[in-house]
Amino acid sequence: MRSERRALWLMASPFLAGLAVLVAGPALWTAAMAFTDANLVGAPSFVGLGNFRELLEDPTFRLALRNSVMFAALAVPLRLVLALGVALLLARPTRGARVARAAVVLPAVVPDVALALAFTWLFNPLYGPLNAVLGGLGVPTPAWLTEATPARWGVILMSLFVVGEGVLIAIAARGQIPRELGEMAAEQGAGRIGTFVRVTMPLMAPVLLLMAVRDTALSLQSSFVPALIVTGGGPPPGATTYLSLFVYREGFEYLRYGYAAAATLAMFAVAASAVWLEYRVVSRWVSSRSGWSA
Amino acid sequence: MRRALVAFVVVALAAACTAAGPQDRAEVRVMVAGDPEELLAYRAVADAYAAAGGGPVQLLEIEARDALISRLSTAIAAGNPPDLFLLNYRYYGQFREAGALASMQGRLDDSESLDADAFFPAAMEAFRDGGEQTCVPQNAASLVLYYNAGLFADAGIDTPPDDWTWDDMVAAARTLTTDDDGDGTVDVYGLGVEPEIIRVAPFIWSGGGEVVNDDDDPRWLAMDSVKAAVALQAFLELRQFHGVVPTDEEAESEDLETRFLRGGLAMLMESRKVVPTFRTIEGFDWDVAALPRLGPEPVSILHSDAYCMPVDAAHPDEAWRFLEFALGPEGQAITAGAGRTVPSLMSVASSEAFLTPGAEPSNSQVFLDQLTSVRSVPNIARWPEIEDAVNALLEEAFYEPAIAPETPELIAAMQFATDPLFPGG
Repeated sequence: MRSERRALWLMASPFLAGLAVLVAGPALWTAAMAFTDANLVGAPSFVGLGNFRELLEDPTFRLALRNSVMFAALAVPLRLVLALGVALLLARPTRGARVARAAVVLPAVVPDVALALAFTWLFNPLYGPLNAVLGGLGVPTPAWLTEATPARWGVILMSLFVVGEGVLIAIAARGQIPRELGEMAAEQGAGRIGTFVRVTMPLMAPVLLLMAVRDTALSLQSSFVPALIVTGGGPPPGATTYLSLFVYREGFEYLRYGYAAAATLAMFAVAASAVWLEYRVVSRWVSSRSGWSA
Repeated sequence: MRRALVAFVVVALAAACTAAGPQDRAEVRVMVAGDPEELLAYRAVADAYAAAGGGPVQLLEIEARDALISRLSTAIAAGNPPDLFLLNYRYYGQFREAGALASMQGRLDDSESLDADAFFPAAMEAFRDGGEQTCVPQNAASLVLYYNAGLFADAGIDTPPDDWTWDDMVAAARTLTTDDDGDGTVDVYGLGVEPEIIRVAPFIWSGGGEVVNDDDDPRWLAMDSVKAAVALQAFLELRQFHGVVPTDEEAESEDLETRFLRGGLAMLMESRKVVPTFRTIEGFDWDVAALPRLGPEPVSILHSDAYCMPVDAAHPDEAWRFLEFALGPEGQAITAGAGRTVPSLMSVASSEAFLTPGAEPSNSQVFLDQLTSVRSVPNIARWPEIEDAVNALLEEAFYEPAIAPETPELIAAMQFATDPLFPGG
């Protein structure tokens, strides 16, 4: 038993070392920097809660916070539903399912920057293929890059394009559900929807919760590249300026690393609150359905 | 004993002869940012320096100018700064106020090859701190008016003269804005200009207004004067009232430089940086003219980058030696040959190396003439933030007049957004 535990620690040690050096260390350093006026160029001074007080009064930060919360509130459920829907469609070993799975996963392995550049072209208001198709269908053509609401939806649309990883996880989770359970539900008169709601969903809930938690945390980061490259944080006034872009600009463009570190802590607090909320909602829903407790 | 003494002298002489060789000099690390043409020019300067026996130079090249600040600050924070770096004066205040820049005044005073008076004064002034030269300018450009001579000829309009007024320019732009095929979409716009503070500022100054309360001790935006408001209003009307500049959607779909290249723009307000690209134009003739004046006198705005040295540069002496070469006649002539920059050294700027007879633009002299009436925006630490805040409001007002506030409210919004960013704010 002891040797087994030692082997486990040994196997985990590279990951734990990486976690300590690359995550925990920088996180602690960031937390400390949040109480200083660090600019990385000169010697920092302790400013107490000054950065946090300034954040509270900063209209750009408030806008970025609002944009980030809205993005997460819309993109995370949409990504989850899309991943689940595609996973259920592709879960069966039908003809062409493997090709379809590969096609769904492929965008997820494309570098973010390359994808952003592709969308810059797709969203081009006058010469972009997306609006050309919409125009051809007689559908109104949104001004993706020049109006606030279409630009925000554009960033969400980009995030929906890379749900491949979630689809694979959901397919794996679906595959773990014994077929007999579905057959039993059918024998007891449950239709397809009933089986899905009462059997499939509750059994997949732990995985879906994990996906939602991970997506929520990632949503604060995944909006960064599209906002930086495709929309530039605009159109004015800051329609797609998210917390990640705010932190980047304050730290790397304006050299206000202490202030950016304080905003990063605020971002962490937002992500933690959202994850906690998701955990509470999903665990209550699941326990009310099947007695499972998250 | 005698033998040993002779051997010692021989070894010492041999060491003395070889130690000073350029191949033994420490490598100078120089961080530069720019487009491919500009980077090619820097490589040529580094090669020429090495060929002249100056020693090895490692260029730390950054293609995206926006990334320079982050790369530079992280390099300094990591204790591994470059020995020299090129920095625009609008971003220089961040580093100066953080105490990251070494003064170059002493080296400049002692230099046998560089003379401070040989550089354009406006560019030198932009990098001076408390009377000390902190960085030495590598280029000294300004905002000018590029024009498509073919479109002017087709419309029967004279090309811009030296003493053009704002109203003359607007009238020409209106004539040159055309819908050639009658499909209701403008095919050629009369003018292209970015809605940014550095584009509006020359006209505010020309009209007798000010951008900030005091250039030497800026404390707030001073665009609430009648003269500044008139200039701002005239600028906003280019899109809102005259419709002579591309719409927001058109500007997002195709940048102004590309539009000019394909003949879809009659005039463009830009600095020297577009020249290498415009020299590829084959379908029409083009040239440059001075900015029109909104008031009694024309004023342009300085565009300048300088070589700066961090306080903890590893090889300051070698870096200075490279700087002396890069900013000397040979280095400046090589950089000027790329066409992208206006040399900061007056003798090279007025030579054929820059004026390049036979190459477009034929009126490169205008870049030099404007430097006598050029002004700078403040180089305080938070100026980049001030620019971003103002530009966001300006862009909205320029393209979205339906939802943008009237000019007085716009100016008030700019002041409200920037007041906390000025010293003492």
